Amino acid sequence: MSIERREKWQGAALVAPALLWTLVFFAVPFAGMALMSLAHLDGREIVQGFDLGNYLKIFTEPALRRGISVSLEITALVTVLSVLLAWPLAWIIATVVPARWRRLVLLLAVLPFWTSYVVRSYSWALVLGEKGVVMNALVGIGLLAEPVQIMATRAATVIGFVHFFVMLLTLTIYSNLVQLSPNYARAAQDLGASRWQVIWHVILPLTLPGVMTGAFLTFVLCIGDYITPQILGGNNELSLPQLIMLQLGRRGDYPMASALSVVLMAIVTLAYVASARWLKMERM
Amino acid sequence: MRALSWAYLIAMLGFILLPVAMLVIFSFQDGRLPVPPLKGVTLEWYGKVLSDRALMEALVNSLLVAFVSALTALVLGFLAASGLARVVLPGSAWMRGALIAPMTVSYLIVALGLLQMFGQVGIRPSLLATGIGHVVINLPLCFAITYAAIGEHQRSALKAARDLGAREFQVLWFVAAPMLAPALAAAFFLAFTFSWDEFIIAFLLTRFDVTLPVEIWSMLRSGLSPATNAVGSLVFLVSLVILVALELTLFRKGAK
Amino acid sequence: MTADVHIHGVEHRFDTFTALHRVDLKISAGEFIVLLGPSGCGKTTLLSIIGGFLSPSEGNVLIGGKDMSLVAPRARPTTTVFQDYALFPHMSLRDNVAFGLRMRGVGRAARHKKALEMLDLVGLSDKGDRKPHALSGGQRQRVALARALAVDPDVLLLDEPLGALDLKLRRQMQDELKAIQRSVGTTFIHVTHDQEEAMAIADRIVVMNQGRIEHCGTPEEVYLTPKTLFSANFMGEMNRIPVTAAGQGVASPLGLLPLAPQTGTLCLRPENLGLAGEVSLGPARLEAAAFFGSHHRCHFTPLAAPDLRLIAHLPQGRHPAPGEEVELFATHPVILAPEAA
Repeated sequence: MSIERREKWQGAALVAPALLWTLVFFAVPFAGMALMSLAHLDGREIVQGFDLGNYLKIFTEPALRRGISVSLEITALVTVLSVLLAWPLAWIIATVVPARWRRLVLLLAVLPFWTSYVVRSYSWALVLGEKGVVMNALVGIGLLAEPVQIMATRAATVIGFVHFFVMLLTLTIYSNLVQLSPNYARAAQDLGASRWQVIWHVILPLTLPGVMTGAFLTFVLCIGDYITPQILGGNNELSLPQLIMLQLGRRGDYPMASALSVVLMAIVTLAYVASARWLKMERM
Repeated sequence: MRALSWAYLIAMLGFILLPVAMLVIFSFQDGRLPVPPLKGVTLEWYGKVLSDRALMEALVNSLLVAFVSALTALVLGFLAASGLARVVLPGSAWMRGALIAPMTVSYLIVALGLLQMFGQVGIRPSLLATGIGHVVINLPLCFAITYAAIGEHQRSALKAARDLGAREFQVLWFVAAPMLAPALAAAFFLAFTFSWDEFIIAFLLTRFDVTLPVEIWSMLRSGLSPATNAVGSLVFLVSLVILVALELTLFRKGAK
Repeated sequence: MTADVHIHGVEHRFDTFTALHRVDLKISAGEFIVLLGPSGCGKTTLLSIIGGFLSPSEGNVLIGGKDMSLVAPRARPTTTVFQDYALFPHMSLRDNVAFGLRMRGVGRAARHKKALEMLDLVGLSDKGDRKPHALSGGQRQRVALARALAVDPDVLLLDEPLGALDLKLRRQMQDELKAIQRSVGTTFIHVTHDQEEAMAIADRIVVMNQGRIEHCGTPEEVYLTPKTLFSANFMGEMNRIPVTAAGQGVASPLGLLPLAPQTGTLCLRPENLGLAGEVSLGPARLEAAAFFGSHHRCHFTPLAAPDLRLIAHLPQGRHPAPGEEVELFATHPVILAPEAA
């Protein structure tokens, strides 16, 4: 065997365990799920088969179809809001905050990352509840005559999500901003651009790949999350992951849960294809 | 513009820190509800939490699953990255894609797929099943971080080791692993955190022995309680201590 | 230890691109060989094949008479000094240098002793406990050399080892490299694109271009009597005058010149043009001159051929005033046949 052939075998032997793991515990279950989505439930028995009934139901039954639109609406709103809030924050930390405070401010801006995800949603329930600090404050200063319901509405879900993803996007956009050479801004100012023009025409376009990558990540994580809508949004309107869990828990309807998962997966894939040319995955 | 910037910064920091501040403050609430007004300060809830057997068992389970699954993911990811960085195999790009793929899939889908497969082959929901799922989601991360850390310099150092007579396992053990130590530590730490904090896979793939997030979830069913605040604050505190320790040792050294 | 290297009909193809075309080369034991050429000429490919990092598509390499085709880099009697030095960043200099011996199962005390000897050889014996990042570029280069020599290779391969150093340091390292090679007696095969470096250190220079060997000889041969226009140009600046055979001499734009009759290009190095010499080139006018320290660089226009520009290097203080007309002479004239394109 030639030296190169032997090297290739050695390389392949090193990759094999990881590939095998991914194959057995990711690809195979995923294929199994796709197959399961074509079965259907008869009473409490799963009947294997090849029928598209589940998918037909998803797009015709209002409760299920509503899940898709609820998830898409929430995710789109969260993604846009998070980017709009995070960009100025990242920019301020990278440029306005003095260098010696920058690390500390950045640390503060992502501090809640370090608490558990479940607990973070719970703490928003504390804040947004009828007796929570927000309502207390709003009634206290006379903006509201009496508390209004935020908990168990879409607003609570969106606030909880935006809180998490603003931190994530601030991190990605910040690291994008500090990598830019200060000479871009200097060159633009030198050529007569005002501060706003520098930001709008030079800095913003240069951070676009990082922003798009962060936005894609936000989209994927947000649309697949069960915890936040379950804790903060409650059961008034159900997102896709909540519907999937509902099929599993109450009804044991694995085929329908699988079909909904395949739809969720398809939405993420479509989002990826739509934004692929903007994404620089290596920045993740 | 400067004043506006500072105002925005303070407002955003307020928004970001508000829930955590409320969480911590009302974990000391001397009363049954963790909402204003603060009636008094007590450590009663912390005592209650720390003496809760189920909670402490869940904590140990979480540490165990996080440690073992992060280590497994790290070893698999490190080996794969070394292999792919070493030679161009037919289908190298395809293999990289396949190894990264689980990262783009919702944890819920990973969990559901494993739940069904384990059900069919007769593996009961358990910490082991959860650990396997956690390796699936952390392997892409460990692979990507390690692979990204192997640049031209690292490649030629590995080549030099072979040139000087090292066998393949010696290259990995004496050169690759110590040389990539900062990246490996970062990957392990991230994988550990993700597993430690992961809910949905653990929720679907455990039954009797549960992990901490699952145990906290079941606490939530009883509504708002300062005890939940106390647990959350403890998790937060432990993460911060680890973070500060890492910042002071590993990353300071790596930055040099 | 030392060994000879025989390269037999080595060809290397990457997909559609042929990096080496049937290269043959014999290198004697203890020789200092420099592979010289522009980037992409195949010199690094050839070095990688000798080191075992690439397998040739055809042909083979023998080291000390043994066929290396199936021998992995780790088992070859060669070691390499890499372009970026490839020092192990997590090991002290001593551990870097001792690494090869450690892999060969040499005990700690013995390998540390040898490592210190090697560090002494390159003048870094007092820095054995330092880490590579604490060193300057020149020092790193020396450590890489000590590490590669510590395992007593028969053949040392050097892949542009001085490329990252500044000019002054590079000249100094060339002298040291040559001295070290003499003292250890190992066969050195050194790749570079710097012709001055090649002349400074080589016993023989192998000029390469587009995957072929253009010329192989001592620095004097390669510089003074180049075999091809490519190697003539690559070795240094050159005045080129087209000539055709005419009776007892050659016809040129400067008129008839008393040289051995041949058609091709008359090649004259700038320092071989002057106000005295073997062959008269007729009168010429000095257009401009610049002082370069060791010489004056002068642009002449021959009166017989106003379109031609000749560049001459004249000794310090010995140049005519601009506009002055003088008689130019040439030494070491070489006529090369046109390249078979």
